[in-house]
Amino acid sequence: MERIHKIEESLSIIWEEREKGVSDKEAVGKSILGKVDENMLEPLARDGYIIFEGHAIKLTPQGESRAKDITRRQRLAERLLIDVLELPRKEMDSFACEFEHIISKEVEASICTLLGHPKECPHGLPIPSGDCCLKAKASLASIVVPLSNLSSGETGKIVYLLTRNHPQLHKLMSLGITPGVTIAVHQTFPSFVIKVEETQVALEEEIAKEIYVKKLHAA
Amino acid sequence: MKIALVGNPNVGKSVIFNALTGKYVTVSNYPGTTVEVSKGIAKFGAGKITIIDTPGVNSLEPHSEDEQVTKDILSKSDVTAIVQVADAKNMKRSLSLTLELMNLNIPVILDLNMSDEAKERGIKVDIKKLSERLGVEIVETVAITLDGIARLKETILKAKLRPSPVKEELESSGSSNNAIISLNKRLKSVDNLIKETVKVIHPSGNSVSEWLGSFTIRPLTGVPILCLVLAFMYLFVGKFAAGEGVDFMENVLFGKFVNPFFIQAADRWIPIALIRDFLVGDYGVLTMAVTYAFAIIFPIVTAFFLFFGVLEDSGYLPRLSVLSDRIFKIIGLNGRAILPMILGLGCGTMATLTTRILDTRKERLLVTLLLTLAIPCSAQLGVIMGMLSSLSGRAFLLWFGILLFVMMVVGFAASKVVPGQKSPFIQEIPPMRMPQIKNIAVKTFARLKWYLKEAVPLFILGTVALFVSDKLNILKWIEDIFSPLVVNLLGLPVKATEAFIIGFLRRDYGAAGLYVLSRTGQLDKVQIMVSLLVITLFVPCIAQFFVTVKERGMKTALLIAGFVFAFAFLFGGGVNFLLRYLLARGIAVI
Repeated sequence: MERIHKIEESLSIIWEEREKGVSDKEAVGKSILGKVDENMLEPLARDGYIIFEGHAIKLTPQGESRAKDITRRQRLAERLLIDVLELPRKEMDSFACEFEHIISKEVEASICTLLGHPKECPHGLPIPSGDCCLKAKASLASIVVPLSNLSSGETGKIVYLLTRNHPQLHKLMSLGITPGVTIAVHQTFPSFVIKVEETQVALEEEIAKEIYVKKLHAA
Repeated sequence: MKIALVGNPNVGKSVIFNALTGKYVTVSNYPGTTVEVSKGIAKFGAGKITIIDTPGVNSLEPHSEDEQVTKDILSKSDVTAIVQVADAKNMKRSLSLTLELMNLNIPVILDLNMSDEAKERGIKVDIKKLSERLGVEIVETVAITLDGIARLKETILKAKLRPSPVKEELESSGSSNNAIISLNKRLKSVDNLIKETVKVIHPSGNSVSEWLGSFTIRPLTGVPILCLVLAFMYLFVGKFAAGEGVDFMENVLFGKFVNPFFIQAADRWIPIALIRDFLVGDYGVLTMAVTYAFAIIFPIVTAFFLFFGVLEDSGYLPRLSVLSDRIFKIIGLNGRAILPMILGLGCGTMATLTTRILDTRKERLLVTLLLTLAIPCSAQLGVIMGMLSSLSGRAFLLWFGILLFVMMVVGFAASKVVPGQKSPFIQEIPPMRMPQIKNIAVKTFARLKWYLKEAVPLFILGTVALFVSDKLNILKWIEDIFSPLVVNLLGLPVKATEAFIIGFLRRDYGAAGLYVLSRTGQLDKVQIMVSLLVITLFVPCIAQFFVTVKERGMKTALLIAGFVFAFAFLFGGGVNFLLRYLLARGIAVI
């Protein structure tokens, strides 16, 4: 692994540990060692990415922005591989690791736009938002959008379900609302009514926002 | 031998149950009709076969109470084979459940029901191949016309476990305890199965029923349609049945023939005055209980059950949840709550059982409360519509509006007080279907039978109680106690107290008492409105109270009943004073 890769990888690990509430020097060091084969904490500190506060690690502003960037690219890459290229999960992880280091800023923004500025990676972790997300909001027509953005008469193929509420996810799936399925939107107000297979299902808007679809052109 | 009928909601399990057993359980076109397990004996082949009908499930991972019921039956009891009733139009969902059922290691028979509708939509299933791949016997049926039932019976007799290539494939890829992951795996495997065995020859276009179906759920067309449905119900149940129907039954049949006949017979043959009074007196079993039950309530509930049966079987009711979801959100519920609420218009007791289809404890409690408080049951509703139709259409709208208002205010307040949360709105909508006259007739008949069995004994009990208290002068004493409430607070005649007393037994009986008062000119307009509001809001009937105890517990049931009782009288008093105040200022609202 090149040095720059090691630094980026380590920073993304620090970011991820911080999301879990872990900032202990030893624990984070161990995670990094496991993935990068080298304890990168000292070099990171030397380059001004992190500082130590007692036993805790803290990202400097420089480290913060770099870590955020790399995490964002990594998670966007995961989404891209899963949603658009429809790669199996297993292969995703190894691919995404390579991917994130070669994506340029411009490519990152266009991927993000393509995906509809997703908020979560396939593991359910938040994707830090970039400039493009703030600029675009929902105004740009993107390929992968929440079901709630579709208007009646349109069809879409379900790409992923965002919901992390287990029973709710199970309920949707057992009604046949699962990734890969084509759905037709029959109406959007006062409730969403969609058709899956030969089943018509009514949903509230909140749920429709959690179902992400690839918009299909009318057949 | 013991067979369980299992399947996704609204696929026709109960129709199959009726076809196999010759018994009748209610059949409707909406998911959640069956909330309680029915058992029946079928006689075919050598011996007797116990058949169990279960509430519909989409998966064996239970998320609501009715799904739990089905899971319990399958995992605890000694079921020898499962007949999975499936909607042949929805193969994906059906097969996903099949794979889950196969894990129980009980022989499964897959019944592809509604195969006529599937064929109409150009869905063709390679039965032989699918059966081989699954290791499961498959029968195609059209249950309502009894097509394929004979074959189903034969297959049940031969049911045994067969090796299943699909199951082996699933198992060889490892198992997981995570419900979502194993569901995902099943769905993948179902996708492959469908690719191999199901062909859609021409994609389904829009049929007439789909057009009509979509009109009923769009606000612009759906709301007028709802108003039409309500107006038609008002005309049919309120004007026709409660007006002309009751007129004929009460004044002609009972007034001119039945009662005079009994009174004369009693005068001639029964020498003891007390017994004569008991049978044909003011509070006589024949002249009051039987007359109320058959002359007043019977025509009304018959009309209502007919009308309601058509609504149920058309598939219209669940569509209302689409229109009403946003309104129910205000009171901490979602659109699914409309189903038990509307069923409450049929019978509050049954509707309280149906709250099981709701997902959270809070939702079930809120709906139970509103059912007790603000939803009149069929018989009561019919009597009320009959009385209001003697005033004006405006009076009906006022009564309706006030109840809606009460429901929203109490619902809103209760949703703030009751802990817990609401579940998201996800509701399957059945297709619109032309109701089958035969099913409507059978269903109405079954309901009338049930009504007579449940209501008439209570009517008689109530009459006997009135009779005894009248003879012992207790009635006077009770009326004295309650008259400050009834006369001063509600502004009603003392006689109305009786209606409320028998209303404790059954609300429709109480309403019938008021009906008699109003028909004999003993109530003015304001009194009619106030008494109707109070009897609508009034305590649940005994049967509904017991079901509430069973479903929600004694403490909750008592709390609800106590609150409802106090609320009904205070609210009725408020309306009384308001209407009188307006009237005194020359503003006639009614």
